[in-house]
Amino acid sequence: MGEIFGAPGELLASTIRFATPLVLAALGGMFSERSGVVNIGLEGLMLISAFAGVVGASLSGNAFVGLGFALAAGLGFALIHALMCVTFEADQIISGTAINLLALGGTGFLLVVIFGAGGTSPRVEGFEELPIPLLSDIPVVGPALFAQSLLVYLMYLLVPVTFFVLFRTPFGLRLRATGEVPEAVDTAGVSVTRMRYYGVALSGLLASLGGVYLSMGLLSAFTENMTNGRGFIALAALIFGRWNPIGAAGAALLFGFAQAVTIQAPQDLIPQEFLQMLPYVLTIIVLAGFGGRAIAPAAIGKPYRKE
Amino acid sequence: MSEDRTPQVPDEEATRGSTLRRVLVNAGGALVFPLFAILISFLIGAVIVLATGNNPLAAYAALLQGAVGSPTAIGTMLLGATPLIFTGLAVAVAFRAGLFNIGGEGQLYIGAITAAWLGVSLGFLGPFSVVLVLLACVLTGFLWGAIPGFLKARFGAHEVITTIMLNYIGIYLATYIALKPLRTEGLVPGTDTIDIAIRIPFIGLGLGRANYGFFIALLAAVVAYLLLWRTRRGFQIRAVGLSPGAANYAGMGIGVNTVLALAIGGAFAAVGGGVEVLGVYGKMTVPFVTNLGFNGIGVALLGRNHPAGVVLGALLFGGLYSGAQEMQFATDVPLQLANVLLAVILLLVTATKLVELVLGKRARALAGARLEKGLGQ
Repeated sequence: MGEIFGAPGELLASTIRFATPLVLAALGGMFSERSGVVNIGLEGLMLISAFAGVVGASLSGNAFVGLGFALAAGLGFALIHALMCVTFEADQIISGTAINLLALGGTGFLLVVIFGAGGTSPRVEGFEELPIPLLSDIPVVGPALFAQSLLVYLMYLLVPVTFFVLFRTPFGLRLRATGEVPEAVDTAGVSVTRMRYYGVALSGLLASLGGVYLSMGLLSAFTENMTNGRGFIALAALIFGRWNPIGAAGAALLFGFAQAVTIQAPQDLIPQEFLQMLPYVLTIIVLAGFGGRAIAPAAIGKPYRKE
Repeated sequence: MSEDRTPQVPDEEATRGSTLRRVLVNAGGALVFPLFAILISFLIGAVIVLATGNNPLAAYAALLQGAVGSPTAIGTMLLGATPLIFTGLAVAVAFRAGLFNIGGEGQLYIGAITAAWLGVSLGFLGPFSVVLVLLACVLTGFLWGAIPGFLKARFGAHEVITTIMLNYIGIYLATYIALKPLRTEGLVPGTDTIDIAIRIPFIGLGLGRANYGFFIALLAAVVAYLLLWRTRRGFQIRAVGLSPGAANYAGMGIGVNTVLALAIGGAFAAVGGGVEVLGVYGKMTVPFVTNLGFNGIGVALLGRNHPAGVVLGALLFGGLYSGAQEMQFATDVPLQLANVLLAVILLLVTATKLVELVLGKRARALAGARLEKGLGQ
């Protein structure tokens, strides 16, 4: 193993780095889909936030201002999705596709308008690695898990928090019910529309953390279409993890591991394209019902209309 | 919530009077959503242009000039429209069966690598070489498209997710073939260049780099129309889309028609990829074209999932892209504005309630457009 993949600690560290944006976006997708709104726009939400973060950091010279910009952009775009799907009853798949195209076109457009040239933005202040004292001194796993960027630690925290919110709070119960039997939620006097706006808004905020990690954690600049399908891998992780925070995080770690191996394994061992296919192939296998069927929330994809 | 689906033939207005009148009223109704979306999108675009300190009128004038202002411009528009007709048909045919084909991107790549592989390895096989290669694209695209159809029919796996996943599988598979078995030395990584005898010729007539692939795309649209509205199979596919229960009761086999509709869609997109390789690039490079599959969704929706509408929608998209280059040249507005405009159109084109708010309920009834598909079973 050692000769092929380099040091195991390095492999683990790079697995965490690749998995972080996937985990964050998948947790976001969970809030949206559990409320009954399909979000195939995760890719676009990540992309616009990755860009907004760089703009904010570049204007202020401060990474946290960048983070604020990113959260605002992710929230804004998510609210467009909610407005279209929930309020105007547009098709959720189409709206998600449009969000992706809008983010791609919008970031390409603004890259030229703001920074004067397409392709890549100037370098900005990012979230640098911040080793946690003591924990990062543990052999092998210490540096891999606890000498990471602040956003990675935030991800560690958000997995249990998401689980708790979804399964142990009244809000989570209402959100899940909205995705399964909206009529019942409505009858109980809770607004289906409001719950779905909350779900989609949370998906925007979480996906934006994933996006900002790409442009200000992994790199310190924005490049055009830098998400490059990660939003769809996050969607795959969400489904592979059966719409459960722990499952989705596990799936994202697996997919992150596949990416880490892709980078580190010698080319002639396994063609990297086949490793890159892995998340998508596994998701199809799970969707087809092998190893226990993945079942989506019952009311997902359907606009709710009061009788 | 299928019980509150708006009936497809509601408005008195649309069913009364002479055939001609009926056709006109229906066509007018069908255009309400697309025209509304296009109009709003251009208004939003104007605001964006204004915000960048440019004159929207000047920008749009340059856009129009670049789309249809000269034979070369028209040629560029046709060039851009060609693959979108194919990917638009790929979405439209599946949609007629009530299925969402988001897999155009991957299907196009499968066709492209089929054409590149055969084009490079077969050599010239007589005057019908191009036809043979494109028929091979039909075959590989059909088989590739059948995968999500089979997964849906046999296991109930939702086609939206499986086609998204298959996009990336197809792209990586095509990339692998182009970079490993077919790799040649060159500045841009990719396959060898295909012999000029197996390429689709330019139209000429001052139309720039436009090639006969556009006419192949028109032919494909005619084939799609005949298939859907003039064959027994097409009737079944549409029946399954309109009312799966009734179609099933009539013994039409939902499974078979599901597989066929997605497979046929895959074949269309794959031929589009083949035409790009044989008509435009002469090889498959890495990276290859992007977003043609996703834009096909917009094309199909603008065209109300009718082959004639798909052609019109593709021409609009093609014109926007070719016009945007002129706009960037003549003014300071970046050409990426075209993508923003298209995204806004796509965002609005199914927003039933919004049209209703702005134009009143009658407009919506006339348009008869309610896209309502649940992801859960």
